[in-house]
Order: sequence, then structure tokens, then C-alpha cells
Amino acid sequence: MPPALANPLTQLVLAAALGVAGVYLLLPKPRVRWVAGGVALVIAAAAVFGVFLFERYGQPVLSVNGDKTNVVGSVLFWLFAAGAVGFGCVLVTQRNPARGAIAFAFVILSTCGLFLLLAAPFLMAATVIIYAGAIIVTFLFVLMLSHVKGPSDENDRTREPLLGSLAGFGFVGLMLFTLHASSPPMALAKDAGPQYPLPAPPLTADDRQLLDRALGHCEEAIQATTWEEFRNHAIQANGFLHAFFTAADRLPVEDRLKATAADPRVAAFLEKHESLRSSSGMPLLSLLGNPTNETEARAAVKALRDELYVYRGNGRLPARNVANLGFLLYSEHLLAVEMAGTLLLVATVGAVAIARRKEVGQ
Amino acid sequence: MISLWHFLGVGAILFGLGLVGFLTRRNLITMFLSAEMMLQGVVINLLAFGSHHGSLGGQAFGLFIVTVAACEAGLALALFLMLYKRGRSLDSGDWQTVREVGVPPAVDTVPLPAPPPDDHPTLPVPGRLPEQAEVRFQEVTRA
Amino acid sequence: MPDLSTPIGLSLIVVALPLVGCLLAALCHVGRAVKLAHLPVIVSFASAAAIACYVLYAVSGQSGDLIQTASLGTWFSSGRLSVPLAFQLDPLSAVMLAMVTFIATFIAIFSASYMHGEAGYARYFAFIALFVFAMCLLVTANNFFVLVAGWEGVGLCSYLLVGYYYAKPSAAAAARKAFLVTRLGDVGLILGIFLLWKAGGYQTNIDAVIRHIAEHPPGDGYMTAACLLLFCGAVGKSAQLPLYVWLPDAMEGPTPVSALIHAATMVTAGVYLLARTAPLFVMSPTAQVVVTIIGGATAVLAAFIALAQYDLKRVLAYSTVSQLGFMFMALGCGAAISPTIAVTAALFHLLTHAFFKALLFLGSGSVMHAMGNVIDMRKFGGLRKLMPTTHWTFLIGSLALAGFPLLSGFWSKDRILHALSEAGYSRSEFHYLYQAVFYTACLTALLTAFYTFRAYFLTFWGEERVPPEAHGHAHESPRTMTIPLVVLAVGAVFVGIIADPLTHWFDHLLERAPVLHQANEAFTKTTNLKVGEHHFDWGVAGLSTLIAVAGIGAAAAVYRRGGPERVPGPLRGIFALSANKAYVDEIYGATVVLPAETAATGGRQLDGFLDALARLVSFVPRFAAAVLRPLQNGLVQFYALGMVLGLAVFITVVVFRSVR
Repeated sequence: MPPALANPLTQLVLAAALGVAGVYLLLPKPRVRWVAGGVALVIAAAAVFGVFLFERYGQPVLSVNGDKTNVVGSVLFWLFAAGAVGFGCVLVTQRNPARGAIAFAFVILSTCGLFLLLAAPFLMAATVIIYAGAIIVTFLFVLMLSHVKGPSDENDRTREPLLGSLAGFGFVGLMLFTLHASSPPMALAKDAGPQYPLPAPPLTADDRQLLDRALGHCEEAIQATTWEEFRNHAIQANGFLHAFFTAADRLPVEDRLKATAADPRVAAFLEKHESLRSSSGMPLLSLLGNPTNETEARAAVKALRDELYVYRGNGRLPARNVANLGFLLYSEHLLAVEMAGTLLLVATVGAVAIARRKEVGQ
Repeated sequence: MISLWHFLGVGAILFGLGLVGFLTRRNLITMFLSAEMMLQGVVINLLAFGSHHGSLGGQAFGLFIVTVAACEAGLALALFLMLYKRGRSLDSGDWQTVREVGVPPAVDTVPLPAPPPDDHPTLPVPGRLPEQAEVRFQEVTRA
Repeated sequence: MPDLSTPIGLSLIVVALPLVGCLLAALCHVGRAVKLAHLPVIVSFASAAAIACYVLYAVSGQSGDLIQTASLGTWFSSGRLSVPLAFQLDPLSAVMLAMVTFIATFIAIFSASYMHGEAGYARYFAFIALFVFAMCLLVTANNFFVLVAGWEGVGLCSYLLVGYYYAKPSAAAAARKAFLVTRLGDVGLILGIFLLWKAGGYQTNIDAVIRHIAEHPPGDGYMTAACLLLFCGAVGKSAQLPLYVWLPDAMEGPTPVSALIHAATMVTAGVYLLARTAPLFVMSPTAQVVVTIIGGATAVLAAFIALAQYDLKRVLAYSTVSQLGFMFMALGCGAAISPTIAVTAALFHLLTHAFFKALLFLGSGSVMHAMGNVIDMRKFGGLRKLMPTTHWTFLIGSLALAGFPLLSGFWSKDRILHALSEAGYSRSEFHYLYQAVFYTACLTALLTAFYTFRAYFLTFWGEERVPPEAHGHAHESPRTMTIPLVVLAVGAVFVGIIADPLTHWFDHLLERAPVLHQANEAFTKTTNLKVGEHHFDWGVAGLSTLIAVAGIGAAAAVYRRGGPERVPGPLRGIFALSANKAYVDEIYGATVVLPAETAATGGRQLDGFLDALARLVSFVPRFAAAVLRPLQNGLVQFYALGMVLGLAVFITVVVFRSVR
């Protein structure tokens, strides 16, 4: 590969440009429309994007720490992602709106698969029912009502095809580049065993356990009513935190980070790491020495807890998704639920009013 | 290993494709479906972040988005029906009368391709008709 | 709500009746019964007059404190200020009420035939009734707010009635002039009321204010300012120098309206106001002497202008201005001799003048009616055979106006001259001014007698001439018009007997008015003089008689054979000066109207300049709009594209700034 193409920005721009060209050729137009070429270009764009992924985020891993279930997850993800994007392309470029609607149904199904991977079975079910079941069907009804024979303005013409695809793909490229720019450096991710190209640091199961225990003591310290109890838990939390940072496998990571400190992103990451580390040391302990500092100490523990939550990153979602989601909706988001219900009612009334007025008007 | 980044990427691509569809396609229904696809990309984003932080908030948000999308679908349907009855067309370019006074309308200049030839099966002529019968047949067809 | 059987209750009915008449007449207009519009008005006026006369009788028969008040609840209130809709009845109000309603009744009867067949018949009667209602409100007001309400109501109605023929440009102009000129005075009135309100302990009740000021005098300068501002209002309303110019122009209205304005309802308001606030004026001798001087100057100027007018109504109009000047001269003597004498003389003259001036105007209306709406004395003459009733009643009115002995005008004018002569020999520091005014008054009386009889002889004597506009059937007016003339003529002859020296009813009635009590107290307090008593003075009476006879004789000598006008050579200049109204309108035009017009024109130029500037500024958004307008092409997707591009630029900037 030529060195110029190794730059992630170049790769992204190239992928977007190929996508623009492909979609431009595929979009229905009276003159310039070349389906085969368009498909080829879109595939080429996907290929370039694949190179970008491979270069930046490593080859698809088939096993992580011997955990075979992740393989199934990876395969399903790529399947659903490819389905969503592919059928999305079909929807956008298909001349016949009825076929477009069917493609949209497949997009929905694919995204629903992604929802499942993201541990959202209830939302998946709701989306399938609402979109695939209701919206697509009613739109097909409308399409049948307004059936057009032969070429027509709305199906065989597009508004600003080049400019529109440029804007769209430019937007996508920009977002992907932003994501890339905000994710941690590859130098860190490549040698650290499991690949976690994410804002959160790579954590082993043991790390996570240490952090979780520290967090648990923090929570209990915050809940504590007496000074003694509070102090006890705070010291324990501090201890686990200390253990986390002094664990042997942390040091090489820190060294690597320090070695690449010239990179501003690494510097930022390092800074965060250091701040957390310093808060695990003497300042908190000195505060804990005297009961008169209780308010300050409690504030410090709270800040520590919040920091730890961010630092720990990927949590675990509860297994009883529907029950927990329902509890959340009807406790924390009750007002929003009511508003959404009202909105639905108003929209129903509005839709009926609009449809009726038209009849009266005629 | 599938990470947050992957999901965000898929969401972004879906969003962008929907954007392209919304900006370029002229059929109101296709435009609407593209907009829905953009919403799907956003929902994926929310769910990915929710999963990453171990919070159900993302899913709650996703539910609200689905609700709003449903409202939108109902209203859009009613509006499309009304617009179709008025203009006998689902072309969004037919509704450009809200432009400023004095701005010329956007008119399509490139002619549409000819409709594809009618490929219904046709029967061969079975044979010569008698004179009188032919005349009557012509009258009937003319009527 | 007061008991309606008491005098004050009855006077409330008197006030309300014209309003009812007005509403009924307006209903006649709405209900297409226009020809019956005069009935409710005449009936309400007549019953109001009857009740008012009974009220006057009842008040004069009462003993003790003669002031009665009644409140119909709160009119409005704001913060600590609460204004009741309150009325009062004292001898002053009672006299005015009776006079106004009595005169108005006969004017209404006269109008019924005079206005017969005119367009807007019902409108006319509704306005007349409203006019009388406003005047009644004014004279019975117990606080300044109700007084101003009546005052402005009178002004409004005069505007409406002077502009009755609103399609005629001159009538519309005259109405506007009347309204605007009196408004000038009203500004002064309102300011004066504010000053009094402040000095009077922030009360609105007139008597309470007077009492408060009597107990806590605010100082000479303050009082003089307040009184002069009040007098400003009176000057506007009662047509005194320099604001008298609207009254002669008010002739554009129908003649009975002129009679009403001149005799009963409008111009007497100023005199009434000064009588009502006499205790305040007593405290300011300077204001008093200003009143007298203004009155004298007005009187002589108006009399001079009246000498050479050809329009019969205009002569009468200037005579009204002149006579009002007499009343103000009398009112101004209060601080020099005695408020009682001054106010009594002024009100007495007001009363007699109401009778004979109404008579003269109705008479001239009768002439006008017969002559086909021609009022120029050069076009007719020798009407005494043609219109005997009108002739005799007009003669009586002229004699009364000229102050011929034993007629009502003689007695009242004598009272005024006597008051002035007394003031001229009083110990007041301004006595020489009063003397000068006294001689002016004598000269005015002479001129009055002369111009009155000039008009009389030019109209009724000499060769019989009838203008072509009469279409050959000039005749005596119908009975409904002559009966009011006769009644008013009888009044003009005999109304003088109510006061000194014949009987003392009027004097005794007014002497007991609480206002004059207060005025007298204030007078003794400020001047340490004993309140003077009126006594008949043969010398003044003789002088007055001599003047009247001399004036009448001179007029007879010159105009006995009727028109046309014969002016001896040396007097031509003076005659022209008089005929051109002493060029007062022209002077006003040059000194007031012209600068105002110039300022207005300048303002308009400036406005145009500013407009141009504003347009220049408005060109900027216009230009921007011209550039941006093509973007609004009505295509939704184009707009969405714009949004996306904008967002893309924004995100690019944010991302690359945070990365680099």
C-alpha cells in the first residue's frame, strides 16, 4: 500500500468520494444512470472503508480470552451492519418507491438485529412492530393509492443528485473522522492484547473487579450515616483503587503512554489517568483523618465515584430488560412518557383532522 | 471484537445514507422513509452509548424516538394523501409555490425517458373478417 | 339618591329632563319619526322650565343656609382621589337653571317652525337638548370635574350646532374655530383648576376648596395666577378679548342656535364661573382689575365693530360680546366695592340680557325666515308694515339693549355703571383704572344705543325693499314663531322689576347665597372694608338715560329713512375700520396663524428629510433581500441542503479546532 493511503483521513476521504460517485451513478436520473458502475463504486467505497477499519482497529478477532460467544456476536454484527447499510443504499437509489419501502423494511430488520446485539430486545420488538408492521404497510397503501404508470417526475428525477450525495457523504466522513479522532491511539491499542479502541482504557476482568469493588465501597461510603462507617468504606475504596493502579500489568501501559506523550490525544488521556491516580493517594486519606472535614471528604468521595464510573466505561445492562426498562420509564421518565402519550394523541387527532378537511374541501 | 466505535460508525453511515435520500429523492414517501432511516441511525447511536455506560437511559430515549417517529408517520401519511388528492402527484417539487415573489420556479428541462414498451402478450390476427362484419366491428369499436 | 320632592331633587330632574329629550329626539331620528323630533324636546324643556321656576320659588322662600347638595354615587376614583357625581343647588344655580330652561323652551318652540323641513331636523333637536343638558350640568355642578364635564359638553354642542350645515365650508370652518378658540381658554381653565386643587387641600368640591383656601391663603401671586387661569377659561367661553373671534363667526349656525348660544347656554358659562368662584377673585384684586379691564376693552371694541356691520346677526353677535364685557366689568368690581354688588349686577345683567338678546336673535331669525335666508341689511328695508309683530318685538328688544329707561336693560346696565362708578371712587389702589373703565362703559353704552338702532332703522324703516330670494311671498312669520317673540318681549320689558330699585327679590335671594357670604368674608378680611350696600343713584341713572336717548336719537337722525348707508367723508376711515372688524382677524392671522403655518410647513419639510433618511436606511435590508431572495425558491430539499451544508461547516470547524 502506498504510504499516502495509510493516512486515516485519506482513507476516509477516498471512501466517501467513491461512495459519492457510486450513489450519484445509482440515483435515478433521466440521463446519467449506470447501475453496474454505481454498484461497483459503492462496493469499492465499502472496501476502502474496510481497509480503514483494518488498519485502525485491527483484524476481526475470533476469540477474546477464550470467550467464544464473542465470535457469534462479531459475525452477527457484521451481518446486520452490512444488511442495514446495503438495504439503505437500495432504499435511496431504488426508482420504484414500493421496492424502496420493502428495502426500508429490511433496513429496519437489520437495525433491529443491531438492537439485539446492544441488549435492547424490547426496543427491537417495538421497532419491528411499529415500523415493519404498521408504517411500512400503511405506506404501501398510500403507494397503491397513488400508483403511477411509466416514468414520472417524482420517481425518475432527483433534486441536485451530486450536491446532495456530496453533502450526505461529506457529513458521514466528517462524523467518522470525528469518531476516529476522539478514540484512543492505536499505539496503545495494538500491543495491549484485547483491542479496545474506545475512550475507556482497556480493562481486564481483574481490573474491572477491582474498580467495581472500589466503586461499591464508594457507594456505601456515600450512603453511610456515621463518620466511622463512612471513613471505613472510604479507606477500603481507596485501598482497592490503590491496588488497581499498583497492579503489575498497569505499569507497561503507563510507560507506553508516557513514551507517546507527544501525541496530544495521548497527553489528554494521560492527564486523566494521572488525576485519577493522584486522587487515590494521600489527599483523601489526609481528609479522612479528622471528623471536622466530613463535608469535604464526602464531596471528594462523590467526585471519585463519578470519575470512576466514567473511567470504568462499559457496564453491564440488566438481564430483565423489559421489566427494568418499564421501571425506568414509569419512575424516572414518567412525565416524558405522559408527554409522549399526549403527543401521540394529538398527532392522531391532527392526522384525522387533516384527512377529513380535505374531504370537506372537495 | 465489536466495540462502541463500530456501532457508532454504522449509525453514522445510516444517518448519512438517509440524508442523501432525503436531499435528492423527490418522491415524498421515499423522502420520508429516508428520514426514518436517519432516525434509526440516531437510535443505534443512543443504544450503543447506553450499552457502553451500562445505562438503560439510551433505550428509554430510543423508545421516545420511536414514539415521535410514529406520530410523524401518521401526520405525514395524512398530509401525503391530501397533497396527492390536490396535485395528483407525490413530487415534492410540485409544492414550490411558497417561494419568494419574483423568483422563477425550478423547472425540469431534461425530458423523461420514454416509457418502456408495452410487453403484454398480443394475439395474432386470426384471419380475414367478412366485409359486413368488419364494418360492424369498426362501428362497435368506434362507439 | 336624594329625595326628589326637595328642591335639590327637583333640580336633578331639571338636569335630567333635557337629556331624556335628547335621547328621545335621537330615537326619533333612528326610528324614522323625524317630524316629531321637536315634541320630546319642547315638552322636556317646558316641564324643566316649570320645575326650575318652582325650584327658584322654593329656594327664595327658604330660610337659613341656602345650599343643598346631592350625590349620585362615585363617578370615578383613582388611588386617594375619588370624584363623586355630585350636584348642588344654591340661589346662583337656581337662577341660572330657571333662566336657561325658560329661554331654551321658547327657542325650541321657535325652532320647531324655523327649522321645519330642514335636513337633520331630529339631529338639530337632539343637539339642542344636549346643549341645554350640558349647561344645566355646569350650573349645578358641585365639584370641578362635573363642572368641567358640563363646560366641555357645552363646547362640544356649540361645535356640533355651529357646524350644523356641515356641508357648507364656512360653517365647518366656523365650528372648528369656535371649538379650537374656546379650547385655548379651556387649557387655562384646567390649569387653574389644578392650581386650586393643589391650594385647596387636594379636594374637588368647589365649596370645600374655597373654604380651605380662605383658611389657608396660599399667597397673592399664587391666587392671582389661579384666578387669571380660571378667567382664561371664561375668556374663551364667554368670548372676551382676545378670544372673542369665534362668536361672530358662530353665526353660521341656524339662528335659534345663535339665540341659544348668546342668551342662555354658552357664553354665560364664563360669567357663571366667575360668579361661582367670586370668593377666590376677591382675594386677588389684581386679577379682579384685569377682569374689569378686559371686559371694558372687549365691550368698547365689540361695540365699535358693531357700528358698521351690514349683517344683522353679526351686529347682534358683536353686541353680545360687548354686553358680556359689561358683565365682566361688573364682576371685576368685587374686590373694590363689594362682591355682592358686583356679582348681583353681573347676574342681573346676564338675566335681562338673556331675555332681550334671545328676543333680538329670534326676531332676526324671523326676518331671515321671511327674507329667504338673506340677512344683509343692504338688501332689505322698511319691513315694519310687512312684519308688524316682529317689528314691535324687535323694537322692544332694541330699546332694552340700548338701555332705554324703565325697560329691563336699563335697570341692569344702570347697576353695572353704578358699580363701576362706586369702584372708581373706592379706596382701592386701582380706583383710577376703574374710573377709566367707567368712562369706557359710558362710551360703550352710547355706541350700543347707536348701533342697535342703526340696525333697527335699516331693517324696519324707510322704503319697503324685499330681496329676490324671498320669491315674492315675504310675510309675517307663523304664530309658533311670533308667540315666543311676544313672550320674550314681555320678559324683556318686565324682568327688570325683580331687582332694585323696583323690588328687592333678586338682591335678597343672591345676598343669601353662601358663595357671596364667603366672598364678603374674604373681602372684609383682605381689605378691612365694610361690605358696601347697593342704593339707587339718580345721577348714574340720569346719565344712563341721557346716553341711551342720545344714542337712539343720533341713530334716528342718520338712519330714520332707512338704507342705504350714508357715511360722511371725514368718518369714512373709521367706518372702514369698523366694517373690517378692526382688522382683528387679519392681525391674528399674521401673528398667530401664519407663524404656526410656517412652523408646520417647516415641520413637514423636516419630516420629508427624515423620511428620506429612513428610506436610505431601509435600502440596506432591501439590498440584502435582493441578494438573498433567490435562495427562497420554495423547494424544501434545497433548504434542507442548506442546513446540512451549514452544519457540516460548523462541525468541521469545531472538530479541527479541537484536534489541532
